[in-house]
Amino acid sequence: MGIERFERMGWKNRTFDVLNAVFLIVLMLTMIVPFLNVAALAFSSGMASMRPDIILFPKDFSVEGFATVWHSLDLKRPFANSVIVTVAGTALHVLLSSMAGYVLIQPHLPGKKIMVSFILLTMMIPQDAILIPLYLVNKDLHLINTLGSLILSGMISGFSILLMRNYFLGVPYEMSESAQIDGAGPLRIFASMYMRLAKTGLATVTLFEFVSRWNMLTAPVLFINDPAKNTLQVALKSMIVDASATSSNFLVTTNVRMAGILISIIPLLAIYPFVQRYFMKGLMLGANKE
Amino acid sequence: MRTLKRQGMLYIMMVPVVLYFVLFAYYPLARGLQASFQDYKLMGDRPYIGFDNYETVAHDPTFWNALWNTLAIGGGILVAGFLAPLIVALSLNEVWSRGFKKTAQLVLYVPHLLSWVVIGGICIFLLSPDTGLVNLLLAKGFGLAPINFMAEEGWARVVMVGSAVWKDMGYNCILFLAGIVAISPSLFEAARMDGATRWQQLRYVTLPQLLSTMKVILLLNTLGLFRIFDQIFVMRNPAIASKVDVLMMYTFQKGIMEIRIGPAAAASFFVVLFTLLLTVVVRRMTRFDEV
Amino acid sequence: MKRKIHALLTVTTASALLLSACGGKENGANASPSAASPSDSAASPSASGGASSPAAGGKLAILAGNVGGKTPEGNTEFAKAIGSLTGLDVTLDKPASDYDQKVLTALGSGAKYDLIEVSDVAKLRAFIAQGVVTDLTDFVQGSAELSDPSVIPSGEWEQLKGADGKIYGVFSKFQGATMPIVRKDWLDKLKLQEPKTLDELYNVLKAFKDGDPDGDGKPNTYGLSTSGLYDIQGIMSAAGLKYRYVMKDGKRTIPYASDAAIPMYEWFAKLVKEGIMDPNFITNDTAKMRNLFLTDRVGMITYWDAWVGMFNNLKQQEDPKTTFVAAGMASIPASDGTILMRRGDPDFWIIPANAPHPDAAKKFLEFWHTKEGITLGSLGVEGQDYTVDNGTYTLTETGKAANMDHGVPYWYNANVKSPFPPLPGVTEAMALSKQYATLELALDTWPDAEKIVTNYALKAMSGQMAAKDAVAKMQKELKDAKLIDE
Repeated sequence: MGIERFERMGWKNRTFDVLNAVFLIVLMLTMIVPFLNVAALAFSSGMASMRPDIILFPKDFSVEGFATVWHSLDLKRPFANSVIVTVAGTALHVLLSSMAGYVLIQPHLPGKKIMVSFILLTMMIPQDAILIPLYLVNKDLHLINTLGSLILSGMISGFSILLMRNYFLGVPYEMSESAQIDGAGPLRIFASMYMRLAKTGLATVTLFEFVSRWNMLTAPVLFINDPAKNTLQVALKSMIVDASATSSNFLVTTNVRMAGILISIIPLLAIYPFVQRYFMKGLMLGANKE
Repeated sequence: MRTLKRQGMLYIMMVPVVLYFVLFAYYPLARGLQASFQDYKLMGDRPYIGFDNYETVAHDPTFWNALWNTLAIGGGILVAGFLAPLIVALSLNEVWSRGFKKTAQLVLYVPHLLSWVVIGGICIFLLSPDTGLVNLLLAKGFGLAPINFMAEEGWARVVMVGSAVWKDMGYNCILFLAGIVAISPSLFEAARMDGATRWQQLRYVTLPQLLSTMKVILLLNTLGLFRIFDQIFVMRNPAIASKVDVLMMYTFQKGIMEIRIGPAAAASFFVVLFTLLLTVVVRRMTRFDEV
Repeated sequence: MKRKIHALLTVTTASALLLSACGGKENGANASPSAASPSDSAASPSASGGASSPAAGGKLAILAGNVGGKTPEGNTEFAKAIGSLTGLDVTLDKPASDYDQKVLTALGSGAKYDLIEVSDVAKLRAFIAQGVVTDLTDFVQGSAELSDPSVIPSGEWEQLKGADGKIYGVFSKFQGATMPIVRKDWLDKLKLQEPKTLDELYNVLKAFKDGDPDGDGKPNTYGLSTSGLYDIQGIMSAAGLKYRYVMKDGKRTIPYASDAAIPMYEWFAKLVKEGIMDPNFITNDTAKMRNLFLTDRVGMITYWDAWVGMFNNLKQQEDPKTTFVAAGMASIPASDGTILMRRGDPDFWIIPANAPHPDAAKKFLEFWHTKEGITLGSLGVEGQDYTVDNGTYTLTETGKAANMDHGVPYWYNANVKSPFPPLPGVTEAMALSKQYATLELALDTWPDAEKIVTNYALKAMSGQMAAKDAVAKMQKELKDAKLIDE
């Protein structure tokens, strides 16, 4: 610590810190624009939200967009469905992908490269090409119109397996070896050691999976017809479709649309801080000393 | 004997993964492959027609144009989308205030939470020649005439690459940060003991330790290269279509819009083939399997 | 390197072969729609609505894109209402998005629907070619309701005929036309007449830009905005050019790619250069264009006839004292007096070939064009969207939000009158549509041709390319790709 402080006193360092902060702040400003724009439109009144010049501040402040969404939709059920699908799906996803990632770091395991190829190939498949067969699989398994189809959809991904493999590689192998000498089987080493030591990796994969599951749209539209099993995204989307390709009398004002978008991402923003502490330096310090 | 038992357990741990992929990836893929050799009608007979669908696609100049567009835009995203978040992650890592760091991470991640429909709309809006913020800044700051970024072919790909990199910045940044956090602090301590400056720590500790993360990100992004769709679908317009329509646009147009499922499936398998080739190259180049 | 590729390929081909072997077998069973296994019906569309009232008339499964309630709950009520009015046990699936994918997946995987809503003639043609749709000729001609010309004018059925002359669909609503919509109040304020020639139009649009028609003292208005090449039909009409294909002596031509289009593109390029045209016309979507018009930024756009009323109504709701008046306008006539306008693709129902209850579907199709059907499709569900008291109709809050559009804002049946007066300006606009608007001819090659035409047309209009060169390029590329015959 003493050395650190000594270092940080140099003017070069200070200049760098300032420039670095400025760089990040400018970047942050650009990133916050879309969010503020959505919020500004959501909090404008119906007609005002259609003005082309709203960027950061609402015009004619109003919460009528939220009120419309609230009155028109019963959000409790879809919200609960989304939570079930997202939580259960993410938990299974992280567990199974980690397990596979763990297998892939084993040295001298015959067939490992083939396994990697097997997994990589699944990541090359264009979704549009397998829409119909995928539906048939779900149908044959009697999953249509069940939340199960949504939990199973993308339950494992090569993406997460490879990520977990990478994070597990960061765990010193000697520790695993010493555990093996103590007589622990692979499953125990995986559960009691790797899952705990690769928390940052787990947090990353969990966050990504949570977000993509929460935002999932195509799978529920294809596999679910029963409104009682709608997810939040689908319910909100059902309100904001714009049939402009065909003559229609129906208009969804921009504020309602943006209110829907805002409602759907608030839960994501709420969980972020919980995940975030795993991205802070110093966390692994404790882990390594364990 | 013990190794055998151990390995047996490891294979068992792979069983759910294999089962899942066979059912939800390989079986649909095989059915897709089958469709690519059929005169695929939505109902009724689906006679096999050999490689006709592949020939149809291979003789379609639109398809090859889409391939070039994919390589140009995807390649741009691959390179810039790798370097930019790396730089930002390293820069974030140099920040000492935890509060600032936390805020920055959250804010950088926000665009990834919003769909391309929202982000694309905002990009078009910000780049608009009359009221767009970017053109206003260019005019006020540099006295430049407005540029119609979204309508000029010369800018089209730049805009696509730029906005894609920007949107997924926070996302890729987290991948790098997770890698940086995992670096053992004792390595930095040792470096500091030896009197290493921040730059030297970065050069001799952080970057080499981040190598395996970089490999995996590069490989994952390579696999995504041919899949760009949502962004293009939202941000394209007829004036720039010939420069930005990518392969997934082509399969969407053929399969979903024109309901020509056979040719669409054939095009999809070209995509699988291209991805396969590219992945083999990247896997080889990064020595991915050498743990 | 070699070994790795080899390993990859082995795995791929082995698993692919293995799986396609199983796949082939199953496909055999799936190929004939009649061989429905018990699992099929179990997995077929849900009992989403009306399940509580199992009716004697049989079941009816509908897949709709526009028809139905505006929310999942509203949709369930809507299905129940169809059920109680027709005596059928109705399920109505209305996906929140990705409708095209949903239809394709449903048809391709053998999911059973009795009715599917389609809004695209090109799709109908593909469906016919792929054996998906039921021939409805006998049903339509034999139906007292549907064959009545006062219910559906006889000529309209041409739109839903296949190449074999058979009828494959039944209209779900009256599809309107798009036309130039102009700010009438701006015209009056600037003491201008509705333009009848290209020169008059130029003067009007220029005045909209320079004359500060919104009176805020700022030069922030445009004369014209569009959101797609089809939106310039009202102006291309001046040169007698119809969008998409036109058959001439059995040969495919694209008027927008002919030499006659050159001066028209030059006319637009002038508009763009002088700042009269909204410079975002290339990137606009229709919503953006609409919003510009509603917020006093542009004096003329091209949009649906029904929206003339919507625009006026929206502005009046916002501010009862508004001066805003939108009016539909006929296209600029060609030198021979011809007026070309664009009729929208019809919105219609098909009965899929594998429909389990085609008779129920037919019963619904007749019902859909009766007074009860039309009232349901426009106003919505009685008690939820509107109430009737002594013959007086009142919209509820939910009904007001849906704005008398549950898939049928306008209908063919001349015997059914709306209980509410038409929105201001709609009647006049619709009269123009009925007089002049015609369908565009979309041949199978149009998607490829459209890319070439729009690309160069937009370049010419925006001034990135000389109109002469742009049209020459269009012609060359269209001919090289065998997309036109001359």
